[in-house]
Amino acid sequence: MNRFVGAVPATARLAVTVLLLAAMGGFLALGWGAAAVLAAYATLFVLAAFPPDPRWKLAALAVLTLEATLGLASKIGGDLLFIALVGVLVLLLRLPKVAVWLKVLLGAAVLLLGIPIAGFANTFLFELGIQIGIYSAMALGLNVVVGMAGLLDMGYAAFFAIGAYTWAIFGSSQVQHFLTTWVPLNGNFVYLFMGLAILATAATGILIGLPALRLRGDYLAIVTLGLGEVVRILANNLDHPLNLTNGPQGITGITKPPIEGFQALLAALGIPRSASTDYQLFFYLLVLVIIGFIVLVNVNLARSKFGRAWVAIREDEIAAKAMGIPMVKTKLLAFATGAAFSGAMGVLFAAQRGFVSPETFTLTASITILGMVVLGGMGSVPGVILGAAALTILNLDLLKGFSEVLNTMRQDGTVLLGFPMSQLPSQVDPAKYERLVFGIILILMMIFRPEGLIPERRGSREEEA
Amino acid sequence: MTGSSLTVEGVSKRFGGLLAVNKVSLRAEAGKILSVIGPNGAGKTTFFNLLTGIYEPDEGQILFGNRNITGKKSDSIASLGIGRTFQNIRLFSGMTVLENVLVGHHNRIRTNYASAIFRWGGFGKEERRAEARAHELLRYLQLDERADDLAANLSYGDQRRLEIARALALEPTLLLLDEPAAGMNPQETEDLKHTILALKADLGLTIVLIEHDMAMVMTLSDRITVLEYGSVIADGLPEEVKANPRVIEAYLGKGGANA
Repeated sequence: MNRFVGAVPATARLAVTVLLLAAMGGFLALGWGAAAVLAAYATLFVLAAFPPDPRWKLAALAVLTLEATLGLASKIGGDLLFIALVGVLVLLLRLPKVAVWLKVLLGAAVLLLGIPIAGFANTFLFELGIQIGIYSAMALGLNVVVGMAGLLDMGYAAFFAIGAYTWAIFGSSQVQHFLTTWVPLNGNFVYLFMGLAILATAATGILIGLPALRLRGDYLAIVTLGLGEVVRILANNLDHPLNLTNGPQGITGITKPPIEGFQALLAALGIPRSASTDYQLFFYLLVLVIIGFIVLVNVNLARSKFGRAWVAIREDEIAAKAMGIPMVKTKLLAFATGAAFSGAMGVLFAAQRGFVSPETFTLTASITILGMVVLGGMGSVPGVILGAAALTILNLDLLKGFSEVLNTMRQDGTVLLGFPMSQLPSQVDPAKYERLVFGIILILMMIFRPEGLIPERRGSREEEA
Repeated sequence: MTGSSLTVEGVSKRFGGLLAVNKVSLRAEAGKILSVIGPNGAGKTTFFNLLTGIYEPDEGQILFGNRNITGKKSDSIASLGIGRTFQNIRLFSGMTVLENVLVGHHNRIRTNYASAIFRWGGFGKEERRAEARAHELLRYLQLDERADDLAANLSYGDQRRLEIARALALEPTLLLLDEPAAGMNPQETEDLKHTILALKADLGLTIVLIEHDMAMVMTLSDRITVLEYGSVIADGLPEEVKANPRVIEAYLGKGGANA
């Protein structure tokens, strides 16, 4: 690969990049969405595989951000340009030899201008951004357990459920089913409950971990899988004798945090407002802040005695013990840390959706989060976030979008390659094959990039060009 | 730092029908080097695993200094001050050389969880102190230039020395070395000999050594204990052990002394 890259002179790489960016701009001006999207992806590919000089690369990324944002704002090319923005962030993260403040500036431009502007044009993109954020945060939590400490936890969604239900019950009229005199809590309590959920899920993690962490590898996976199901089934059945969770119907009407202050701020800044985007923007920014905090916690822990102890356990348990690392305590700490992240995001999830039901917390959810960690790169913070973004986009956007395209074709009676699309059986619906596509991706990853999209990096201090 | 003595009294370990260690008693004096030798399969490594809590003895007791450590868990024995290396190298191969040593230093790093998360309360200072200490140990074992390399990328001899550096990071008073010279070339073995003598002289460590390189054992040891089929067959000064007919027999077979 590297030899191949070297064969293309730097000026040629730059020329191709410039050409592609110009083409993309042209397509956008003409309103040719599909062509613009292709040009954007081609640019990203060239920048990733045949990088020009880092400074030019940064400039190209900035131009790409601008063009993609303009495209998204004028709804040319649908949501697909959103993926280009995510791509810009990934390449930015891997960009060497450029002043950090420039990288931060462009990163902030993407996150604070590009995506919100796109979100105002298409509120679904806000929703997508928020979901990516929530799943990234959870994947980062699971990264501590699976990626760093090497403890295969297949019931991670249980902690998400506990967090979500903590707020759902007390932040809605559900609480009155068993505490008749209690009033649903005011939305400001969301923040307090995120703290409470951190404590509650960490405690649950320790409680579950005490017996489960005596096991290793596959056995631990089976036990945690079972415990995950226990929590979901509890949520499903605790509507009698005492109605705690409202059973399979789930809990609706969960209070959102009040945002009058935020709205006043928006008004003062002259930002366009509407009832729906206010909340979307608010949650989007809130999730960004939380992600920033969680990344910080993750990185700080990784570079402390605790992170080192976790990795040591993953690498060789007997040697770790011989170094005086207390096994049970250290494993429990990893388990509780991961659980706490998940619990806090559960509260946020409940508050943002306004609705929770046991269906969200299935085994599939646990496996999806695990898939994000494995896909992105176990132990690698940028990798895990990328994994979360990739799978969330795939599930929420790409497959559903593709289904819609097929449906439209079916209804319009389009004939594709001589085949009348109206004859296409309704079983051929990509959204139904979410798991299949997910599985194929994981298999391909195991073959071509077993260490994940962005593998954990230790040791080598030099950065990849 | 001064070494602690180790007293083992009638320790046995049975695996099914195999009596791997049979009523072994021995004593390592503080600040001295004791070698445990014996043919392959004599139970030497099992004996180390009993000392470090990987196995629990079926009978007998182990005293570290005056403290009874029989049946204690591996990690608490390590934190009391017994460091060890492994015959089949057990480094954290995905971590850097420096990180390996820092893991050894785990219990000496005074950082709590909250200060690690938020990097407050002297976290940085403590971390820098630990790193300085780790570099010091790496320099001691001539590994400092490799500090940022992955442990897996070191040569065999370097990996063995890294195991020693990592064990020293525990700041032990007793060091158990399980065949530290295995797979080393003559020059590396020579260097290792000096390192072990320096550990004894500089740090006053008590060292228990399992080794097959007899030249090394004879020059280093203050005392030697010989195991065969799990039992002690000889114990004494190097010259005494060397001349002991049972030892010669164990190594060379019956009639070997005449061959």
